[in-house]
Amino acid sequence: MTQCWQCREPVQGPVCAGCGAIQPPPPHPDLFAILGMSPSFVIDRKAVDKAWRAASRKVHPDRFAGASAVQRRMALQWTAHLNRARKVIRDETQRAWYLATGSERPSEGANKQPDPAFLEEVFELNMLRAEDPEAAILRAGELQGTEQARLAALFAAQEKGGSLDAVPAILNRLNYLSTVISGGHE
Amino acid sequence: MANIGIDLGTTNSLVAVVMGQTPRVLLDDDGRSMTPSAVRYTGAKQADGSDAPPMIGWDALDNAVDHAETTLTSVKRFMGRSLDEARKVAEELHYTLAEGEGHDVVRIQAGDKVVTPVEVSAWILRLLYMRANECLMAEPTGVVITVPAYFDDAQRQATRDAGKLAGMNVLRLLNEPTAAALAYGLQENSQGTYAVFDLGGGTFDISVLELTEGVFQVLSTAGDTRLGGDDFDRELAKLILSKAGIENAKGSVLRAAMEAAEQAKRDLTAGEIAAISVELGGQSVQMQITRAEFNDLIRPIAERTLKSCKQALADAEMEPADMDGVVLVGGSTRVPLVREIVEEFFGQKPLSNLDPDKVVALGAALQADILTGSSELSDDLLLMDVVPLSLGVETMGGVVERLIWRSSPIPVTASETFTTQVDGQNAVDLHVLQGERELAKDNRSLARFKLKGIPDMPAGLPRVKVTFTVDADGILSVSATEQYTKTHAEIEVQPSYGLSDDEIENMLESAIDNAESDVDQRLLIEARVEAQQVLAVVDKSVKADVDLLGGNETQVISQVSDALREACESDDRKRIQELTTKLDEVTAPFAQRRIERDLKLALEGQDALQVLDVLDRTVKAAEDAAN
Repeated sequence: MTQCWQCREPVQGPVCAGCGAIQPPPPHPDLFAILGMSPSFVIDRKAVDKAWRAASRKVHPDRFAGASAVQRRMALQWTAHLNRARKVIRDETQRAWYLATGSERPSEGANKQPDPAFLEEVFELNMLRAEDPEAAILRAGELQGTEQARLAALFAAQEKGGSLDAVPAILNRLNYLSTVISGGHE
Repeated sequence: MANIGIDLGTTNSLVAVVMGQTPRVLLDDDGRSMTPSAVRYTGAKQADGSDAPPMIGWDALDNAVDHAETTLTSVKRFMGRSLDEARKVAEELHYTLAEGEGHDVVRIQAGDKVVTPVEVSAWILRLLYMRANECLMAEPTGVVITVPAYFDDAQRQATRDAGKLAGMNVLRLLNEPTAAALAYGLQENSQGTYAVFDLGGGTFDISVLELTEGVFQVLSTAGDTRLGGDDFDRELAKLILSKAGIENAKGSVLRAAMEAAEQAKRDLTAGEIAAISVELGGQSVQMQITRAEFNDLIRPIAERTLKSCKQALADAEMEPADMDGVVLVGGSTRVPLVREIVEEFFGQKPLSNLDPDKVVALGAALQADILTGSSELSDDLLLMDVVPLSLGVETMGGVVERLIWRSSPIPVTASETFTTQVDGQNAVDLHVLQGERELAKDNRSLARFKLKGIPDMPAGLPRVKVTFTVDADGILSVSATEQYTKTHAEIEVQPSYGLSDDEIENMLESAIDNAESDVDQRLLIEARVEAQQVLAVVDKSVKADVDLLGGNETQVISQVSDALREACESDDRKRIQELTTKLDEVTAPFAQRRIERDLKLALEGQDALQVLDVLDRTVKAAEDAAN
């Protein structure tokens, strides 16, 4: 339990129940927790939006239009966290990465090369794409389906104590495959 | 205590306030709700030789035909735009742009005076603010100003600057379609998706809004900042002018033709045929036009709106039939052809029971009231907007790396890490862009930043984390930190098209009516306080170290001090500042001698603490001098 910076009363959550002051947001909040959700790979997008709206209503800068500049600044930071949380959690790839690594998706350069066998597969897909784009996209789609199923299986196994170590590698492959499908353009 | 809402439009502007529970548009002395967004610079002087305030609104438009060159209208089109961009649209307008570099802020030549769109807008805002002040018999606490949802960062910033220049407390910039949805009370339906079709005088906006459990969210926006009812008038004016055999009409002839065209457009809203009768440069033109002919003439322009409609729907991943309602905003939606096109596209009759000219102002007043925190709606309503255009930075090879994507809810932050290319490099150049194109040159340049103060390190080692923040108004700010040393990198902001703080400051100083304004008062007080601080220090040291004063120093110092004391009694801020600087200058050698003696005395006494203290002061003095 922390103290409200303004009235020194104990405070829980982003807004002090006593004096109504917004509290400084943590620099790296848990993205599920700030939406009031438990971490989970399986989500209901509508439920995420509902949680996001409810949380936003409490901390949006408009709620603090008449408050000091400091409080408006904090409200902006809180709301920016909420908007980021919604974005990450709604997106399957970003959500998986976040759950597996505890961080948001790193920049492209940080990705490791996938295993040689898979790289060969991608190379062949690109060759095929030049001759028969439809067949290539179909094949890439199949591979995508396989990887997605593996991803879901890993998260399901996690509940029974399974490891998520393989998640980044799968996400990396999915990234390669979506590049093939979009024709090399990101 | 009341907050007001202002619809700062391209052609007309309005001010509204919530009275009781109901938003009302405030009328002028002649009972009119709309004020033309027009300002005429007369060139007249006041008794003291300064420029007289310009004519604003209806006054500005009186005899506009005879003063076309100095009557500024539609300046909203130039808000936050560069001279290069403005030149493209200026050809069709009747006033001239001042010379300058292509990337400069637009400046308009109004007779002898050169003014910016921000200054012109500030005059319009002042007029509306004064009207609210009179109606409420109290100064409004805060103001909500509406902007097209499609406005980019520079345009929003310019609008905020105009409010600042007019001396207002701008609480929030509100997207016009969101304001319209609020005015229609669509939140009462609690759930639904709506399209807001806003065709004003000079801008077109289409927005898809989602309303869920009291939260308004703009799902997508698209539009065209160069499409509006003025274009209908222009098209018809061209026809009238060609009938009269006039080519390349300019100034008063063009204005007369435009006025005749606008009248005919109004006549054709209710009637099937309009008679046009106008004097053009001594030539009398008589003609008739039917609604069908008019429709054929404007159809290509009216149908340009659909391109944006399709874009907005695609961005929201929706079909026209998914809309639970379509709201019409803007006087140009009265044009029957526009209604036909909208109805056909969305497959339903649009909502139009509120006056399309007033909806935005009414919504702005409601939002202003919500922001007081005491409105009935305050607790359960929240207006959530999105970034209208993606934001990114230019990377190697002139490619854009996007950091914040179009349609992300705001406020939003994004970070990116940059490094150096050369050993010991102390600064990194950054180019911030807004737009959806892949190459930097095809997007709109927002600002160029120089990240300075990076510590000496081998190339590639510094990690400068740059954080972009878009606030609830859609305005971007940037901060940067070097990650290893945690030094906060200094950022030099060079707005590509906006106005820098210095420019705003200069305008504040030159604004005619602000002799009594808060800003001037504040600057004067600050100048006086600073002068008195300097005077106190000088008095004290002259008494303490009188033996260090040589030659005529005592006389000079006391002369300047007396002059400064006298200036402080007056309201002449410039003189106070000049004399404060002068007093600093004439006492500088004396101050230096005092420090030297203190140091010598301390060293002789071998009082280590005292020595440190004096050294500390010396360093500080040197730093102050360097600044």
